[in-house]
Amino acid sequence: MSRSRSTRLSLAAFAIALTMPAFAQDTIKIGVITDHVGGSKFYAEPVTRGIEYGARKINESGGVLGRKLELIIEDDQNKPDVSAAKARKLVDDGVVIFLSTTGSPSTQQAQTVSLETKTPQLAPANGADQMTTALDNPYFFQTGPLASVQLATLMAYTRKKGFKEVAIVRDNTALSQGFADSFRGGLEKAGIKVALEEVIPQGSTSAVANLQKVRGAKVDAIFQAGISGPEMLQFFRAYAQLGMKEPIYGSYNLSIPAYLTMAKDLMEGVIFADAFDPDRPDVKTFLTDFAKENSGGPAGSLEAYGWDGIHLVAEALRRAGAPDREKLRAALQGIDKFDTIVGAKGTFWSFAGGKRAGFHPQGAVIRVVENNQHGRVLQAGQ
Amino acid sequence: MEDFLELLVSATASGCVYGLLALAYLVIIRPTSIINFAVGEWAASGAFVGVAVLSTLVWPALEWPWWSALLIVAAFGALVGYGTELLCVRPLVARGAPELSAILVLLGVLVIFREGNTLLFGASPLPSPAPFGFRRMLIGPFPGVSQQFLIIGATFGVFLSAWLFFERTVWGRAFEAVALNRKAAALMGIDLRMVGALAFAAGGAIAAVAGLLVSPLTSAHFLMGLPLATQGFTALVIGGIGRVEGALLGGLILAFVEQFGARWLPVPSGMTLAFPFVLLIGFLLFRPTGLLRAPETRV
Amino acid sequence: MNGRGVHALGWLAGMGVAIGLAFVLGSYHTDVYRKMLIWVAMALGFNFLFGVAGQIAFSHFAFASVGAYGVVILSHQLGLPFGLAFVLAIVICGLTAFIVAIPATRLEGFYLALATLAFSQLVRVTIDEGGALTGGTGGLANYRLPPFFGVDVRGPWYTVCLVLLVAFTLWILTRVDASWFGRACRAVRDNPRAAEAMGVDIARARILVFVMTSTLAGLAGIGYAYVDNVINPAVFSLENSFLLLFMIIIGGSGRHVGAMLGAVVLYLAPFALEPVAGNHYMLVFGVLIVLAILFRPDGLAGLLRITRPGKAA
Repeated sequence: MSRSRSTRLSLAAFAIALTMPAFAQDTIKIGVITDHVGGSKFYAEPVTRGIEYGARKINESGGVLGRKLELIIEDDQNKPDVSAAKARKLVDDGVVIFLSTTGSPSTQQAQTVSLETKTPQLAPANGADQMTTALDNPYFFQTGPLASVQLATLMAYTRKKGFKEVAIVRDNTALSQGFADSFRGGLEKAGIKVALEEVIPQGSTSAVANLQKVRGAKVDAIFQAGISGPEMLQFFRAYAQLGMKEPIYGSYNLSIPAYLTMAKDLMEGVIFADAFDPDRPDVKTFLTDFAKENSGGPAGSLEAYGWDGIHLVAEALRRAGAPDREKLRAALQGIDKFDTIVGAKGTFWSFAGGKRAGFHPQGAVIRVVENNQHGRVLQAGQ
Repeated sequence: MEDFLELLVSATASGCVYGLLALAYLVIIRPTSIINFAVGEWAASGAFVGVAVLSTLVWPALEWPWWSALLIVAAFGALVGYGTELLCVRPLVARGAPELSAILVLLGVLVIFREGNTLLFGASPLPSPAPFGFRRMLIGPFPGVSQQFLIIGATFGVFLSAWLFFERTVWGRAFEAVALNRKAAALMGIDLRMVGALAFAAGGAIAAVAGLLVSPLTSAHFLMGLPLATQGFTALVIGGIGRVEGALLGGLILAFVEQFGARWLPVPSGMTLAFPFVLLIGFLLFRPTGLLRAPETRV
Repeated sequence: MNGRGVHALGWLAGMGVAIGLAFVLGSYHTDVYRKMLIWVAMALGFNFLFGVAGQIAFSHFAFASVGAYGVVILSHQLGLPFGLAFVLAIVICGLTAFIVAIPATRLEGFYLALATLAFSQLVRVTIDEGGALTGGTGGLANYRLPPFFGVDVRGPWYTVCLVLLVAFTLWILTRVDASWFGRACRAVRDNPRAAEAMGVDIARARILVFVMTSTLAGLAGIGYAYVDNVINPAVFSLENSFLLLFMIIIGGSGRHVGAMLGAVVLYLAPFALEPVAGNHYMLVFGVLIVLAILFRPDGLAGLLRITRPGKAA
């Protein structure tokens, strides 16, 4: 090759190289707050996995508004004050919206940042009703299955049984306490008496005393409100040990796959609210595709929330027309029918009427644990 | 009445676990006056090692019988205890630092072990297999679950061995001598370093076994260490340091107050969490030497 | 310029830098800076209690929570005017500290630590189960600092408030340290019997120190409440009490500067360590603690002895 030719070629290559980074830098930045080491890890990590997969697929088909989505992921260790700090970091980094996947107190404390900096915030999987009521924050949106909807769906399923008195069992985490409050509210409004509310504290070595009280109260059913990890195992152990027969109705915590391994053979026949119908054809496609393209185990409902969350953001960005925080907020608020992988068949997410909790009231399903698996759907919607 | 007997078994099993932790503290405190808060994390590590040996959740291809897990976990605990003593405590003792330094060093060790557990085993709770399953059983009039009876049996075995060690063996007497008067013991030819190393090794082994025993009930998870450490120490304060049996008595009393209180006291369920702390404060203020006095009073 | 002049100039320069930072930092760095200031305030008080008076207590964050929850509940749940709520919160903090101190300070060494640990867990349970009043485990949000005489204290001005909080804490503690009372505290720590023989009322000294530092912790807690306008039990955890102790061990030698250094280093380290150690910075801290205690020439004695040039220990 002659010198001048090679020089020209290398100049051309250099010129192209100069323009490439500029093109790649023109991304839309989206923040994600997750937890790799703390107590909310087994919620946050699967949801984040779903978000990452979704963003990847969106970018593969051209991105949004001609630009790629760039996820900036921060870890808040499930500590609320760190969550607020990381939220500020994301805002300073120029994100147009950030997604909170960790515990309720962390999401709540990060809301201060979203309100103050007028940056949209989305909690894709969090179902605590208090998230949208504790603070009037027009920039905060929540699409997780609300505890109140879960309870209403459970109650619709059990209405024929005519429960008069039930027990609520919870642990002493924020999610559980919040769910228990929502459950109690819904039950009492329907005229069902909550005979007792038992707490299995973290660090306890036995739930026998708690469940003896439940057994003694001769309730019609036990409602399990958002219990996590080891306390869940102790609940089931004590239930089995005491030979109890009361039907158990659980929140969507029971849809976490890790519990099936932990409480193997103990959860047979337990009925729980979920927002995931694995029999829907589009859900089946999602699961197969996910398994093909991702290592680290199959997907479940949590990954689906993440997937739907990032797609919601993409859709809102398209409607907004530009990666502008105010326009994005308005676009999100204006979404009144967004089709999702999660939710019962035929339901969708909607923020119509100024709502900020987008989960469809008919979106929860009732499932039963069969053969140590999350089994079939018994009822969809209320 | 059935409730009472069932609860008796459950509280005894929990009390035995607390008692084992208290014993782990005790065998270290007696000859060295050092309070080793890391025993809680050692119990957690023991639980994780047990899971690794007994199931395929941590590493593939291991699914050994339970008695081998017991031996491995005990050996692991002893090694951990010995290593900690050698690296972190002995240098301090050698230069005459106050016990407080050792206690604080062990807080650092506590944190190291907890983070280490998370790094090695992850932050999700792991199920731990029970050797005799969870069959509901009746021993005499007492209804319980096989794992609970195993815990009770194993604990009595450990305590019997500890009692025999302290009361009947030469080494046990050496421990006593060191506890009473270090200088005199050294002058009489007792190797202080050996006693210290043995104390920590024993404490580590006991704590690790306690973790192995309780984890089938609660799963093995990285947050289990601190509550166990607090419960164990409360049991120790209640029972007193003077006698080995005190540790078990303290554990039983603590568990009984917790569980019988939760069952029968007309207090909202969430507040029952407060009982162990009220008990601890009460004993610290009014009976810091615990319920059982040592055979000879120590000044 | 004489020694005192240099000293005062140093103070002024430090304050100038600290306040100046409030106006130049971006929103994320301001957040980090503010929370760091709270930790510095906590560390100063804890260092005095531990390093000077020789009491290990795990109740420091519990008192911070009493201050924080006190002011928020009184002003926003119960509707009292802010000034009154502020004063009442401090008073409640002091009274609680007094009630706890009377029995607690009779305990020696690690037994005091255990008793205060139990107390802090009791406070935690009370907050968790306090229902709508305390917000339970989810905490309280939706409150703001009301305007002072028509002026909204926000942004860099609030950071300045926190700088003043630290300065105030430092000022009080240095004054007390240099006074007769400070010497009495050290005497009680080193040799209670000798101190008693010299006329020091041991119980009274211990109680006073405990109440003073715990109330300062309550003040820091109040400062924290308005950083994010959210309080929840998580930040007042036992974890953080351990971290506070670690800060004093690594940075502090009973000296105020040491406490501040330890707080700044250990608070900022996780941010710096994140690319390397991920979120397992606690592992690094644990190792540092072990190394710090092992390799200081006198183990902990070096920590408990104050060495100040020109002054007797």
